Amino acid sequence: MMPSLLAILPIIIPLTAAAIALLLRRNFRLQAAWAFGAMLTAFGASAYLLWTVWSTGRPVVYQMGRWPAPFGISITADLLSATMAVMVQLVFVFGFIYALGAKDKAVHHSTFYPLFLCLVTGLTGGMLTGDVFNLFVMVELIVISGTVLTAMSDDRYGPEAAYKYFLISTVASFCLLFGVGCLYMSYGTLNMADLAARIAADQTPALLPAAIVFLAVTFMIKSAVVPFHFWQPDFHTASPTPVSAMLSSVVVKIGVYGFLRLTTLLMPHADWLRTLLIALGIVGIVFGGLGAAGTHNAKRMFAYSTLAQIGFIHVGVGWGTPLSLTAAIVFTFNHALIKSTLLMLSGYLASRAPVKTASFGVLRGTGKYAPLAGVLFFVGGMALAGIPPTNGFISKLTLFQSGIQAAQSGSVNGTLTYWVPLLLLGLSSIITLVYVFRALMKIWWEPFKPDVPVGKVKSSGDSLLAPSLMIATCIALGVWAQPLLQLSQDTSEWIRQPQAYVQAVLGERTGWLK
Amino acid sequence: MEIIKALSIGALFGIGLYQLLRRNVIRSAIGLVIISNAVNLFLLSIGAYDGVVEAYAKAVGQRSDALPQALILTAIVISLGGFAFVLALLYVIAARYRTGDSDEVKGLSH
Repeated sequence: MMPSLLAILPIIIPLTAAAIALLLRRNFRLQAAWAFGAMLTAFGASAYLLWTVWSTGRPVVYQMGRWPAPFGISITADLLSATMAVMVQLVFVFGFIYALGAKDKAVHHSTFYPLFLCLVTGLTGGMLTGDVFNLFVMVELIVISGTVLTAMSDDRYGPEAAYKYFLISTVASFCLLFGVGCLYMSYGTLNMADLAARIAADQTPALLPAAIVFLAVTFMIKSAVVPFHFWQPDFHTASPTPVSAMLSSVVVKIGVYGFLRLTTLLMPHADWLRTLLIALGIVGIVFGGLGAAGTHNAKRMFAYSTLAQIGFIHVGVGWGTPLSLTAAIVFTFNHALIKSTLLMLSGYLASRAPVKTASFGVLRGTGKYAPLAGVLFFVGGMALAGIPPTNGFISKLTLFQSGIQAAQSGSVNGTLTYWVPLLLLGLSSIITLVYVFRALMKIWWEPFKPDVPVGKVKSSGDSLLAPSLMIATCIALGVWAQPLLQLSQDTSEWIRQPQAYVQAVLGERTGWLK
Repeated sequence: MEIIKALSIGALFGIGLYQLLRRNVIRSAIGLVIISNAVNLFLLSIGAYDGVVEAYAKAVGQRSDALPQALILTAIVISLGGFAFVLALLYVIAARYRTGDSDEVKGLSH
């Protein structure tokens, strides 16, 4: 097998499998088994891809249809893309395990698995592609499959949430398309590597700032940065549990990935963009934390908490020092695992509750009947707040370390850029503890006295296999953090050298373009 | 010619945004369609600038670049699927909430 073909396998396997799964719609068990098998295969492929990229030290590039680099679509797996793809597919493997044991009606619908596979295709494709228009296509794939998956939810407000999401996300997609158009008009290319080379050579085109602003707006809506977040809590609350666990953990990461690329590859000198990211990240941290502390629904609480956690990542990206980029990548990876676990646990409690909802009014005291979920929820909450020995501790430690290091290096505006954010980061970690404990107390400590006489707690609910496995992974990544840290460190080194990326995609043809 | 194109793109954007922000859910969907057409027209115009040197060919003359047209085709197909679905979704919402006013569609706000 051509080694370059490896770059496209993580995309093509779930996409083909989705089409075939649709043909298997009459036999649900076969369809579920097929989809899960395909997901495992895709994860194997992306893990092998990451291993290849990491061990050889060179990006794997696949030119679609053998078209030479700037003309065709280059699927480019550098270390950042491969790491992100592995993160997405790892979380999705757990999502599939949860879906297989879930009792939702939506999950047993014959279009659930094909759409779920489309969602993972869109995410992996968006992260592996090296072509800005292809990125738009993949983002649309995410939007449409996410909308349909939420609209078919058991929650009666599913269509409302899906409509809100579709409206805002489609506007974001059009912003992306407009930005792509501006870039094409200015530089006559859609290839990210080619664009990076041309932007570095010439920053005069009048539409370049417009393009960057449109791309930034897109990624902000996608990652639910605060002034653009209004769709997110509704959307993540109403979708079926396996889907909401994916949405709140990995689907928002497409925006984070976009910013990592934008600030390192396309516009490495756009300081205003970094400052904006730090400012909006801080607002997001405070707003998300306070929002989470005031909600009445466990799923909604974690959706708000995602706003805060994404804020942490954006501050890391905004600082832009080697260590803070490392921290942002570690944080991205760990947050994906932690947040999906906690949402799965909320969904598990909802499936056990007398009425299927994650609202605290119904869940109050039901935890007595779910002791294992309580232990997992406690560990997951500790991970979210960043208490050792979990992976959340490692990510917060790295982020704080990077901030302090950068502040001590004596840069201009050190107080405003580093110390103020650090102080707020510390405060918001305390808020995280507050809302996690508030949920723990409401669900596990208070006596079981529902507001309305709604009946008994169900004796069985969704399977707890996936959250248990994920908590085990979280603790493993907290105790043995070295590999992930090393990987993120190497990734941050890679993405600070965009010329290596450009060289890998364009090869010797770079001279030919002049 | 350029000025007409630019003005019509701007007008479409304006109308689309205005409709998108209306309270009626059907109007907001129509707003999306109009914005998508504005973006498509913009893409068309970037490939058909008379007299400007083309992307790679550097050919003299007034041929237009075909790539933006391929982009539009893809964008149209994608938005067609999305809008077909969202209209069905709006039908469900209208039937369930008995209203087309987006201020009344607020089951999730508490």
